[in-house]
Amino acid sequence: MIYYLGAFGLIFIGLYIVLVKHNLIKVIIGLSILDTGINLFLISIGFVKKGTAPIFSRPGLKAIRMVDPVPQALVLTAIVIGVAVLALALSLAIRLYQHYGTLNLRKIKEQKW
Amino acid sequence: MRRIISILLLGIVALGIILSISKIPFGIPKSKVGKFYIDNGVKETGATNIVTSVVVNYRGFDTLGEVTILFIAALGLGAVLSTRKNKVERKIEPASLILRTGCRFLFPLILLFGTYIFIHGHLTPGGGFQGGAIIASAFLLIYLGCRERRISERGTKLIESLGGLIFVVVGLAGLVISGYFLRNFLPKGIPNLLFSGGIIPIIYIAIGFKVGSELAGIIDNLMEESG
Amino acid sequence: MVNPVLLIVVPLGLAFAIPLFGFISKRIEKYIPTVAMLFNLIVSLLLIPKALQQPIVVSIGGFPPPFCINLVAGPVGILFSAIIALVGLLVSIYALDYIKEGAATEKYHTLYLLLLVGATGVVLTGDIFNLFVFFEILCISSYALVAYSGDKAGIESAVKYLIQGTIGSALLLIAIALLYGLFGTLNMADIARNIDSVSPISVFVPLVLFITGLGVEAAIFPLNAWLPDAHSSAPSSISAILSGIAIEVGIYAVARVVFTIFGAQSIFLFLVFLGLVTLLIGEMCAFSQRNIKRLLAYSSIGQIGLILFALGIATHSGVVGGLFQIIAHTLSKALLFLTVGYMIYRTGSLEISTLEGMGRRMPLTSLAFTIGAFSLVGLPPFAGFPSKFLIVRAALITQEPLFVVLIALVLLGTIIEGAYFLRIIQVLYFKGTQEHKSTNAQVKREEAPIIALIPIFILMLLILIIGIYPKLVTGVLNSAAGEFLNRIEYIKAVLG
Repeated sequence: MIYYLGAFGLIFIGLYIVLVKHNLIKVIIGLSILDTGINLFLISIGFVKKGTAPIFSRPGLKAIRMVDPVPQALVLTAIVIGVAVLALALSLAIRLYQHYGTLNLRKIKEQKW
Repeated sequence: MRRIISILLLGIVALGIILSISKIPFGIPKSKVGKFYIDNGVKETGATNIVTSVVVNYRGFDTLGEVTILFIAALGLGAVLSTRKNKVERKIEPASLILRTGCRFLFPLILLFGTYIFIHGHLTPGGGFQGGAIIASAFLLIYLGCRERRISERGTKLIESLGGLIFVVVGLAGLVISGYFLRNFLPKGIPNLLFSGGIIPIIYIAIGFKVGSELAGIIDNLMEESG
Repeated sequence: MVNPVLLIVVPLGLAFAIPLFGFISKRIEKYIPTVAMLFNLIVSLLLIPKALQQPIVVSIGGFPPPFCINLVAGPVGILFSAIIALVGLLVSIYALDYIKEGAATEKYHTLYLLLLVGATGVVLTGDIFNLFVFFEILCISSYALVAYSGDKAGIESAVKYLIQGTIGSALLLIAIALLYGLFGTLNMADIARNIDSVSPISVFVPLVLFITGLGVEAAIFPLNAWLPDAHSSAPSSISAILSGIAIEVGIYAVARVVFTIFGAQSIFLFLVFLGLVTLLIGEMCAFSQRNIKRLLAYSSIGQIGLILFALGIATHSGVVGGLFQIIAHTLSKALLFLTVGYMIYRTGSLEISTLEGMGRRMPLTSLAFTIGAFSLVGLPPFAGFPSKFLIVRAALITQEPLFVVLIALVLLGTIIEGAYFLRIIQVLYFKGTQEHKSTNAQVKREEAPIIALIPIFILMLLILIIGIYPKLVTGVLNSAAGEFLNRIEYIKAVLG
C-alpha cells in the first residue's frame, strides 16, 4: 500500500511543478518526476507479496510465487519513452535560450492572439 | 491564483484516482495474462528470463515501437541542434594525467560489462536497452575524461540504421517462413544455455548496439553545443 | 491476401534504411517517403474488399489472441490507413520541392515517414499499450517536425506543444495502468468483454483519463491551447499533415476507446456538448484572425468539434456523417495548407492583407484555395456538402428537440465559417486590382512549381469526385459505422 502512496506522491508533485512553475528547466524536471511516478505505479500494480523475480535460474525450478512480468515489460518501454521526450525537450530548451535570452515561460509569449 | 486553481484541479484528480485504486488489491496475483506467461514462457520461447520473453517475443511489437521512438528522439535532437550558424571555437582544456589514464583504462572494461549484459539478456536480468545505456555511459566517460576525442558520426549512423534494420528483417523472416510477424522460428535449444531462445539473443544484440550508438550520438550532439 | 502488418513494417524498415541510402547517394533520400506511401496506398486499396466482409485479425508472434498483440484491420482501420497513405503520398510529393536542401533534410524525410508509420499503427492496433506506443511515435515526431524550421516561433510553439502533449500521454499511461490492474489484460477485445464485471464507478475514472489524454492530441476544447501556435509555425507541408492526419487519428482513438472498449452510453451526450463548444469557439476565434495560417488552425479546431458532435450522436447515420466529415476535412484542409504554403513563400508574410491580388499572380493556386474553402464550408458540388448534409439529417432524425436546437447552433458555426472564408477569397480576387490597374498587362504570373501543382490538382479532383458521387465512399463508411457501433461483432472477430 505504501508503494501506491509513494507513486501518487511523485505523480502529484510532478503535475504540480508542471502547472505552477515558470522556469522551463524546472518544468522539464517536473515532467521527469511525473514519468518516474507513473513507472513506479505500474510496477507496484504487478507486485505479489513474498514473490520472487520471474527468472528460472536453475533447471527444474518451479513457479511458486513470482511477480507479474508484464508491468515490468511495460515500464521498460515507458522509461525509454520518457528519456526520448526528455532529450528532445532539453534540445528545444537550448535553442529557446539562444533565441530569447531567458528561460522564463511568462516572458516567452511572442505568439499572441 | 494559478496555484489555487492547480491545487484544486490536482485534488479532484487525486480523489478520482484514489477512488479507482481502492478497487485494485495490493500484493495479490491478479492477472491471467501474467500467469500464462510464467507457466508457459520457458517452453514456448526458450528464454529463462520471463521478462525478456515478454518484451521480445510476446510483446515484441511494443519493443519495435520503442526502438523507433529512441530513433526519432536522436533524429529530432540532431535536426534541432543542427541549425546553429556560428560555431564558436572554445579552447578545450586538457584533463589531468590521472583522469586521462583512468578513463582510458576503464573504457574497455565498461564496454565489456555492457556487452555481457545484453548478450545474456535472456538468462539473467538485463537486456538490450540496459546494455546499450551502459555502453553509452562508457562513451560519456571518454568525452569527460579525454576531451579531444570525438565519435565519428558516420559510424554511429551506420550502426544505428543497421541495428534497426536487423530487427525488422528478423521479423519479416518470421513472416515469410511461418506466416506470423516476429515468430520465433529458430530452434529454441536447451534453456539456460547461451545459445537458446531462438531469435531473442539476435534481436537483443541488435538493440544493444543500436541503443548504445544512439545514446552516444545524442551525447555527442549535446557536447558539440557547449563547445 | 496481403498481411496488414506490412502496412506498418515496410515503411518502418524503409525509414530505418534512409541513412544507409544516404551513404550511397544523398539525392535518393527524398524519394523514399513517396515510395513507402505509394506501397501503403496500394496495399490498403487491395485489402478493402476483404476487410469489408470480415475484420482481418493478425496476431504478432503467432500466439492466440489475448496473450499477444494483435492487429485488427476492419473497415475503419483500412479506411483510415488508406486516407493516411493518400494524403501522405501527396504531401511528400509537394515536399520534394518545398523543403529546401539544407544540413538536415534527410532528418525531415525520416521524421515525416515515421509520423505516418505512427498514425497507421494507431488505427490498426487492437491492444491498448500498443496504441500508447504508436501514439507516442506520432506525437514525438510531430514535436520534432514543428521545431524543424528552427526560427523563434517554431521553437516556442514546439516547447508548448511538447509540455502539453507529455502531460496528456502521462494521463493516458495512468489510465492504462488502472485498466490493467482492474482486468489483468491489455487486449482491447478482452477488456471490452469483461467491462461489465466491475462496477461503473471504477471504470469511470479510466474513461475520463483516456478522453483527457487522447483529447490533447485530438484538440478537444479545453486542451487545444497548443494547436494555433503549432499549426501556424510549422512548415506548410507539416501543417497539412498535422491538421489533416494527426488530429483525425486522435479523434479515431477517442472514438475507439469510447465505442468499442467502454461502450459507454452515458457519456455520448457530454461528447455532443463538448463538440459543440469546440466548434463554436474555433469558428469564433478564426473569424477575428489576420494571420492566414492561424486562421486555418482555428478552423481545424472548429471542424474537430463538428466531427466530435457527429460521432457523439451515436446513431448509424451520425457516425457515417462524422466519418465522411473526417474524409472531407482531411482533403480540404490539406489542400488549403498546401496552397497557402506557396502563397506565403511568394509574398514572404503571413498577413491576409498581403495576399491581395493573388488571384492574378497565382491563378491555379488561388483556384485551388477557393475550391478547398468552399468544400470546407459545405457548398454543393464539393466533398463538404454530403458530409454536412448527413450530419444535419442525422441530428434531425433523432426527433429530440434538444438536437434540433444544437443543430441550429452548428449551422450558426457554419455561417461564421462561410463569412471568413468569403472574406479571404474576396481579398484574393477582388482587392488590389485598383493598384495594379496601371501594370495590368505586366502582372507576372509566378505560379507554384509543377511538382507542387500535381498534388494540389489531384486533391482538387478528389474533392470534386467525392462531392459529385458520394456513393463511391458511402459503402465503406456504412461498414465502418457498423464496426464502431457493434461491439459484440468486434469481440467475436478477435476472440472467436
